[in-house]
Amino acid sequence: MKNIKLLLFGLLLISWQLFPLSIQIRSFDHDGFTRIVFEGDQSFQFKIRSSDSKFRLEIDKKVRVEKEFIQINNSDLLDKVVFLEEKRKSVFSVFGKGGFEIKRHFVLERPFRVVFDLVKSGPVPGDQKPLKISHAEKSVDRFEKNQESENEFKAGKQGQKKLIETICIDPGHGGSDFGALGKSNLKEKDITLKVGKKLKQIVESRLGIRVILTRKIDSEVSLNSRVSIANNQKADMFISIHVNSSFRKAARGPETFYVSLKATDQESFELARKENKSFDEIDQKAESDDLKMILWNMAQTEFIRESSKLADFIQSELNVLMNTINRGVKQAPFRVLMRAAMPAVLIEVAFISNAYEEKKLTNDSFLDRIGQSIYSGISKFIYYHNTMNR
Amino acid sequence: MNKKLIYSLVAIAFVFFITSLIIFLKSRSSVEPKVENPSKSVIQTEVDPPQLLKVKIFYFTNKSRYMKPMNYELENSPIKIELYKRFIDLIIQEKEDFITPLPQGLRLRTLYYIGSKKLLVLDFNENLVTRFPAGSSSELEFIYFIVDNICFNFEEVKMVKFLISGNEYNTISGHIDIENPFYPDYRYLRIN
Repeated sequence: MKNIKLLLFGLLLISWQLFPLSIQIRSFDHDGFTRIVFEGDQSFQFKIRSSDSKFRLEIDKKVRVEKEFIQINNSDLLDKVVFLEEKRKSVFSVFGKGGFEIKRHFVLERPFRVVFDLVKSGPVPGDQKPLKISHAEKSVDRFEKNQESENEFKAGKQGQKKLIETICIDPGHGGSDFGALGKSNLKEKDITLKVGKKLKQIVESRLGIRVILTRKIDSEVSLNSRVSIANNQKADMFISIHVNSSFRKAARGPETFYVSLKATDQESFELARKENKSFDEIDQKAESDDLKMILWNMAQTEFIRESSKLADFIQSELNVLMNTINRGVKQAPFRVLMRAAMPAVLIEVAFISNAYEEKKLTNDSFLDRIGQSIYSGISKFIYYHNTMNR
Repeated sequence: MNKKLIYSLVAIAFVFFITSLIIFLKSRSSVEPKVENPSKSVIQTEVDPPQLLKVKIFYFTNKSRYMKPMNYELENSPIKIELYKRFIDLIIQEKEDFITPLPQGLRLRTLYYIGSKKLLVLDFNENLVTRFPAGSSSELEFIYFIVDNICFNFEEVKMVKFLISGNEYNTISGHIDIENPFYPDYRYLRIN
């Protein structure tokens, strides 16, 4: 028995030496907090020990790092990260320029990442209190991550507003549902999947935010299932990606939609007035019992203002990319957005029915740039959202 | 000719003439006392439906994302539901120089008007989903081409709901929710 134990210990020691874990570290300041991400090429277990101006991340594996000392220059809060090897333990010590505390930490997968959000220690403005990190040791698996998200969600409901941690990207159509078709037989479902995957990669790598795709392959997913995925995963943002098509072959340019059932803009008012139709009548219609019922059934109602803001940010970026000024943010009762319990938009990246734009959509670097533009819009919205909810 | 027969015919003709005269005088005397207010009779003549109804139909063009109006005349009908049907048949006809945002082979199967809700229910054939070219803009163009034109021309219709072969559908091609009825969105229209 003793021999078996020794053998296992020996094997563990060998594997510890032979297959070291590679970890990359990056950090960036957000408005109000600093994020530091430890990205591993494989999953690992860890312990956290924190004091006023530093914290230690202890990993029970041999770790390979490029540098043992990293000076952090792009942060107001963090100073340096020092790597040490102790007895069968690899330790990263993170030092601050002053006192700080861990506001939250969470784990993301594919690639495996441990993410820390840090804030200056001392009184926190308003009612906001940092989440208590109670567990010294944590086994990292999906179940615990979900538990953690749930706890944070509950904490948010109890007074602390939730920051954006999860984004759901929905590549439109798929499987036997081709979506719109171009003259060259280019399919909407293929473009949306490509853009969705590119966007996921950019958001995860730059923001360290968890990203869910409603479909990863060419498969058919119902509209209700798409939004259920977002709601069940407690996503904080829903981005549906589509390619447009019109009966008017000249139609071109990107468009971003959010949900609304009411036509109330100035143009509509002016037209109604010109035609001796009472605008009050239009307004009254919106207040009818039927509409109230529809709005009550629409989970999106609570988030319309934020969805509008998100649409504005994304559309502005796409307008710059596509050099369009006329097309803009629009409202329409999109089925996939109506039941989303989070800020939600639908982006029509270009018109496949327009010969010029169809050709552009076949170019991979153009799709890259679309992904970049949507990412820029998302990151601006996150800054806005987190500022408003601090 | 037999004299008796001639007398008989003259007598019948005389009796017929007298009877007609009495009926005529009676009918006059029964109408005249009712005309107490002369203006009322004027209103009655105005209520009579004209043969042709002037309507304004808005169409898309390739140059603009907005619909522009064209004037048409439609054969009127005192039966409103018949009039709506004529109007829809008119707008779903293909027109040169304009874009009619409709799938090929689209046909109106039937329609209902629910007066209490001021809701017009249009039931189209399956070509609306099977031959629809897809795309959000296409769906919006189709929906508001129908809804705006109907609501603009018939004030008593406040909402329009779409059925396909008698059934409710979630969407036409995966975008806009058509389970709920639509109010007009006049942002698609341009008068000038």
